[in-house]
Amino acid sequence: MRGLIYQLKSVWKDKFCIMSFLLPIIVAVVLRFVGTIDLSSLGELHFGALENNLSAETISWLERYGSVTIYKTLEELTASINEPSTDLIGVETDGNGIKTMVAGDELDIYRQVADTLPALYAERENAEQINVSILERHDVLAGMQNIFIAMTLIVAMFMGCTFNAMNMISEKENCVDLVNQILPMTYSQYVIQKIFIGFVFGCLSAVMTACICFQLSLQSTFLMLLLIILSAFVAALIGLFIGKFSENLMVGVVYVKVVMIVFMAVPLLSYLLGANGLVLILCYFVPSNATFEGVMNLANSTDPIIAKDMLILMAHCIVWFLLYLLISKRRKKNV
Amino acid sequence: MKNFYSLFKKDCQMMIAGKFIFVAFGSLLIYTLFINFGYINFMDMQLYNVYLYDPQGTQQEVSELIRPVASLEELDDALLADTNGVGIDASSGTPNIILYFGSEKVDNHRADYALSLLRSGDEYAAQIVGTNTTEQKQRKEMSCELLFIEIVAVGFLGIASVLFKEKQMGVIRVHAVLPLKRSLFVLSKLAVFLLSDLVFAVLLTLFNVGFSGTIRILPAVLVQTAILSLIMALTGFGCTMLLNDFKQFSLAYLVIALFVATPIFLSANTSIKMAWIGWHPFYQVYMGLKNAYFGTPVTSPVYYICTACGIAALFVVVQTAFRKEMGKEG
Repeated sequence: MRGLIYQLKSVWKDKFCIMSFLLPIIVAVVLRFVGTIDLSSLGELHFGALENNLSAETISWLERYGSVTIYKTLEELTASINEPSTDLIGVETDGNGIKTMVAGDELDIYRQVADTLPALYAERENAEQINVSILERHDVLAGMQNIFIAMTLIVAMFMGCTFNAMNMISEKENCVDLVNQILPMTYSQYVIQKIFIGFVFGCLSAVMTACICFQLSLQSTFLMLLLIILSAFVAALIGLFIGKFSENLMVGVVYVKVVMIVFMAVPLLSYLLGANGLVLILCYFVPSNATFEGVMNLANSTDPIIAKDMLILMAHCIVWFLLYLLISKRRKKNV
Repeated sequence: MKNFYSLFKKDCQMMIAGKFIFVAFGSLLIYTLFINFGYINFMDMQLYNVYLYDPQGTQQEVSELIRPVASLEELDDALLADTNGVGIDASSGTPNIILYFGSEKVDNHRADYALSLLRSGDEYAAQIVGTNTTEQKQRKEMSCELLFIEIVAVGFLGIASVLFKEKQMGVIRVHAVLPLKRSLFVLSKLAVFLLSDLVFAVLLTLFNVGFSGTIRILPAVLVQTAILSLIMALTGFGCTMLLNDFKQFSLAYLVIALFVATPIFLSANTSIKMAWIGWHPFYQVYMGLKNAYFGTPVTSPVYYICTACGIAALFVVVQTAFRKEMGKEG
């Protein structure tokens, strides 16, 4: 117990730890309260037209599909169409119909829209009489926001990693490491204390972030808590590994950054690109992939199934822990 | 000049010793592999699929793009698996459109598009006003982004780690007793970093945009790379002088990487436009780089005057901090 208090004290003095603890919480507050970035324009089509070229009726017809921007000259319109960050489709009057312009470097989808637009225009009266039934599904854009939230949560959960790594490295640099070896404290006590610190702070940070971002049902809250506990434990363990293997602070910081990037990029890519088969199995070797999947499941569905993710995380906990014990024993023997 | 050369040589040796070259070379390799084998293969998006259920064959002249299904269940399954797809149920004689909710305006387009496929009209192709193909655009876009990331994030970290090492070892204070002009030290470091960034930019562009494309855009790209590189090297230098240790720096770095780069990438690559982004200095430089890649370099003198002033101001700050650091007693 006394040892724990000392550990807490040393963490408290470390600004890096405090900052990394607060960072996800700040991001969560920003996501929640300052207002999320308006992503709704992402999925929409964008049209550009010349001033006084299209009739008011055509413009309002185009506005049913997306936003319309008016340009004064043809040069301006062409420049906007060519602008690489947007997929603007230029529309001009052509007799009774319309003709379209594209830059030619868009994704196929926008070129196809432009190719078919005049036909849609010609058919516009028929289209109005047709019966359209729209089925409910989860808002894709809300899903995008959940990705942001899940990412923040992962950063929060894996804070324990930074905590432990930084803490252990600064001990190494200040030679507290050598002092520890002659203290009347067994190695297992030391490891447990270290894991505990990273684990508790990782959990705390993640719980606070989750409270700010999510409103969950009782059952989901329980599942989320379990997810957080398991992930924070794995993260704390990985922090121990980094602390063990990095000989100085610079190397440690680089390791932490690389681990962070891998932990964020792998689940994001596997989610966005829809990994399956062997690739998906490989992705599960990164613990955050299971966490991310679990969090997305909890956020997106009312009846979440996350038993698989839990099992994977538990396996990670056990394997990493045993590996760590094995390595430390081996090292001790060498000493 | 001779003094500068010997300083320059020492700095080059320091970079090689600091494994800076290896990091840069490794990232060049990863970026090239990513662009050539990952990015351009992943980015492929086709227009929505349209599924038609028409047991009585009421629709005569349907387009080839329509995928016929044999039963209502099959239609449901197809839509569930492909939620962007559009279903047409023509079993009653008149077509009914079924689709999963996307967003209001896009849904209008999906429904009307599906309907238009029931009547195959003349093939129309939109007029093409640009000069790039999709692949060229993707290659240029990604090269530009990765170059920006490399200089702002990866290279910046490398610069700082090299400089902090010098600071810790006390090399900077040793400079104070050398009989050389003070500004030479800063200039020689800048020259090393600038040179390495320029070489990196040339290689990255050559490998990913292709030889003939590179020749045309290279001068403009190098000008923008030089601007960005000087700004980042000076910022890294300033951070090294003003912050105590690498630990503090890594916090500053986190802020830069997270809050500086994210809004720029959002605005530059998607149609999300934030009103204040024009005031973001890195946004202007990024757009300068991007425009250079797309063959429309910035010509406005205001931009060049502003960047020159910015670099000069940073240089003065760094110079002052450097003198202060040299003056400290070890």
